[in-house]
Amino acid sequence: MKYILLVAIPYVFVLGLAAFSDVEVPPIDSEQVGFRGTGMVEVSNPRIEAKLAEANQPPDELGSVEPGGDLAKDIYENVQVLGDLTDDEFNHFMLGVTTWVAPEEGCGYCHNEENFASDEKYTKIVSRRMMQMTQTINKEYTDHVGAVGVNCYTCHRGNHVPEYVWTNEDYHPQADKGFAASRNGQNLAVDVNGHTSLPYNAMTQLLTSPDPQIRVAADRALPTRAGGQTIQLTESTYSLMINMSEGLGVSCNFCHNSRAFSDWSQSSDKRVKAFHGINMVQHLNAEYLDPLASALPENRLGPNGDAPKAMCKTCHQGINRPMYGWEALTDHPKALVAQ
Amino acid sequence: MAMLDFEKKYRVRGGTLLGGDLFDFWVGPFYVGLFGVLTAFFAILGTALLVYGAAIGPTWNLWRINVAPPDLSYGLALAPMAEGGLWQVITVCATGAFVTWALREVEISRKLGMGLHVPFAFSFAILAFVTLNIIRPVLLGAWGHGFPYGILSHLDWVSNVGYQYLHFHYNPAHMLAITFFFTTCLALALHGGLVLSATNPAKGEPVKLAEHENSVFRDTVGYSVGPLGIHRVGLFLPLAAVFFSAVCIVISGPFWTRGWPEWWTWWLDLPIWS
Amino acid sequence: MFKPEYQNIFTQVQVHGPADLGVETETGVWERGNQTWTSYWMGKIGDAQIGPLYLGSLGVASIMCGVTWFVMVGLNMLAQVGWDPIEFIRQLFWLSLDPPAPKYGLSFPPMAEGGWYLLSSSFLVVAVMLWWARVYTRAKAHGMGTHVAWAFASAIWLFLVLGLIRPVLMGSWSEAVPYGIFSHLDWTAAFSIRYGNLFYNPFHMLSIAFLYGSALLFAMHAGTILAVSRYGGEREIEQIVDRGTASERAALFWRWTMGFNATMESIHRWAWWFAVFTTLTGGIGILLSGTVVDNWYLWGVKHGNAPPYPDVFGGTVDPMSSGAAQ
Repeated sequence: MKYILLVAIPYVFVLGLAAFSDVEVPPIDSEQVGFRGTGMVEVSNPRIEAKLAEANQPPDELGSVEPGGDLAKDIYENVQVLGDLTDDEFNHFMLGVTTWVAPEEGCGYCHNEENFASDEKYTKIVSRRMMQMTQTINKEYTDHVGAVGVNCYTCHRGNHVPEYVWTNEDYHPQADKGFAASRNGQNLAVDVNGHTSLPYNAMTQLLTSPDPQIRVAADRALPTRAGGQTIQLTESTYSLMINMSEGLGVSCNFCHNSRAFSDWSQSSDKRVKAFHGINMVQHLNAEYLDPLASALPENRLGPNGDAPKAMCKTCHQGINRPMYGWEALTDHPKALVAQ
Repeated sequence: MAMLDFEKKYRVRGGTLLGGDLFDFWVGPFYVGLFGVLTAFFAILGTALLVYGAAIGPTWNLWRINVAPPDLSYGLALAPMAEGGLWQVITVCATGAFVTWALREVEISRKLGMGLHVPFAFSFAILAFVTLNIIRPVLLGAWGHGFPYGILSHLDWVSNVGYQYLHFHYNPAHMLAITFFFTTCLALALHGGLVLSATNPAKGEPVKLAEHENSVFRDTVGYSVGPLGIHRVGLFLPLAAVFFSAVCIVISGPFWTRGWPEWWTWWLDLPIWS
Repeated sequence: MFKPEYQNIFTQVQVHGPADLGVETETGVWERGNQTWTSYWMGKIGDAQIGPLYLGSLGVASIMCGVTWFVMVGLNMLAQVGWDPIEFIRQLFWLSLDPPAPKYGLSFPPMAEGGWYLLSSSFLVVAVMLWWARVYTRAKAHGMGTHVAWAFASAIWLFLVLGLIRPVLMGSWSEAVPYGIFSHLDWTAAFSIRYGNLFYNPFHMLSIAFLYGSALLFAMHAGTILAVSRYGGEREIEQIVDRGTASERAALFWRWTMGFNATMESIHRWAWWFAVFTTLTGGIGILLSGTVVDNWYLWGVKHGNAPPYPDVFGGTVDPMSSGAAQ
């Protein structure tokens, strides 16, 4: 009889650990991505998905305005980006921006309400650049955002600063200053590397300029001079991929057949979308977001003095189509797309 | 016949679980028994169906043959033969063959007056197979979650199912299972080596005794588990490896849908160091 | 009859006699100790006697080098959490001592940038080689065969391939495996991603076959011996030189089950070879990756291994190849 204990004690321990570590229970949803039997499947927990859905509701519709009327550049001073909107469209858009970014503070968050034209608040400088960025996204990156597009809410969701942005981090341990081995940019569990020991600065390496080498596998069976990357750089790419997966709430199978990650003919069309998404993020970070460091006050900057930057999670926030494909351009078509 | 020189006296009737004397005989060196008949039936049928599956597929290359489970859309229903139904029937045959093989081992053990440790051990391996291709698919609601029958294709399945969880190495049960596998390999090398080193000593030396086995191990690592103990350890290690392998896959999906690295956040966020 | 206590898994009644101080062997500067003590809990599974230990020059040197490696790794990990012992425990599985960056090639980098890794590795290699020598000489001192040492050599082959031979052939210490729990798993995954899926490496396949085969064999052998332990089956040496009913039943079990059988001695040869081939082929598979084959999936396609799957995606194309990139 006492042998029962030999089984019971570990069993109870495991069950306790499971409960404590937040394990899930069936029923579980699964979606087949690839050919049957390849294991290319996305599993998801309906309870977790429901919570995500709750947190990712689109904002209230703002309606549209009648066309016609004087242009904003003729009525207001210092209108640099939105001049070709009519007065109504202009104000309607301002209402939108306030709702999406500063619902509590209203106009005064960016404007001196005694002198709306003034650029004295840094928030006005930054939002102007953000508007340009948004217009660029909706015009030049339709191969990623499609006809659905993005607006301020896609990232900001009613917050001054989007919840999911990132800055260059060293997670400064004393060791990096001395004789002891440095962290090598990894071996620290944080959100952006999916709590692995993979590099935590993969995004600095791979998402801040247009041309870094993300592809790592060799494209020939036998070694060639060109060949593939080092193992350490492969870890950076892997870290980025985990970051992307968690940002989109998907797994590697969403895009890849892992038997041959690099082979496009075995990858889903989502991989092409992701390719354009990566290009877009690299461009936005290099051209729009990183340069904002000179406009932002110190409390908005990262520990290394750099501006917050974008990653997949910034817009997607755990869903593979932001807010389930909510059409962001409907209410403000002219304001949101570069002309 | 096909008998060893000491075998005849052991070939007695008895030990059967089912079927009595009906199939209590040998074919060549093989013991038959009712379960031998059943296992032959399942194995031959299953193999024939695999060959048929290869025939309706695009290749006869041994490495590339693939008999795949149905699409997930069929759920737990029977799919058309060419669309995964074949896989389902083969799975029944495999399970039937393995279980009847184990029961045949029970009969053989009983006939030889042995303990049932071997079929007990084998049942762990059967459990692992059943977990992979029956239990987990049922928990996930579709036969399509099973692994395909093909040499390279089943490896593609392993790869993709692993990446469903972003970094499968972080699965704690997987870590345990691998540790047990590697330790089994170590222990097997040590045990095989030790027995051989005693029975094949240095040139000119007589065959050594158990005392030597103990002595050389105590000298080297300060402990010798002994000739009986090593077999207890040697049974426990691989069974633990297979057990935790079954655990690691059944929890992936039915009891965890996120990346496995994320599971470890419970440790990082323990109140004692927050 | 089927109660657990009758299956000979745990010793029901322990008998503790005087300590067995071992077979007499030639001693060197260091002598075999005479300290022993009895462990009741170990006695439930195997022998209850702990000790005596033979120190030996090789052993002492090995332990010293090994501890040096361990302490170097541990202290560097501690430094990386700012010497905070609580964070050390908390982050332990994530901490690591990493090899140098690729840019240093095979040169000795600054201490903080991989120098500690290389220095500690050299102590580890020496510790392992010294331990091998210890295993070898202890067998020789007992007049026994050196089978255990040569099995160990196979494992050392894999260890050297991973940490020394392959990095040298690749021209970079950065290819070596980091010393850390999760970090060495990251290395493993990255290695497979980089080299086009290691499942397609035939030596990887062989190594796994031998690993699983080892598990199979040990379960089979151990189960068999326990099943005939009522006939003294575990006294294997005795049974080898003078076959008794235990060996006969054990052999017949397998002959009747699968049509052929081993003998009490030859099963240990099967065991030895399966275990040894696991690391032997594994080391070859690692060594060939990056040096001889750069992408195992593509190699598999070339040699007709890769199963064809119907295209369910409608022909996805690399945006970079069609020049569609921005």
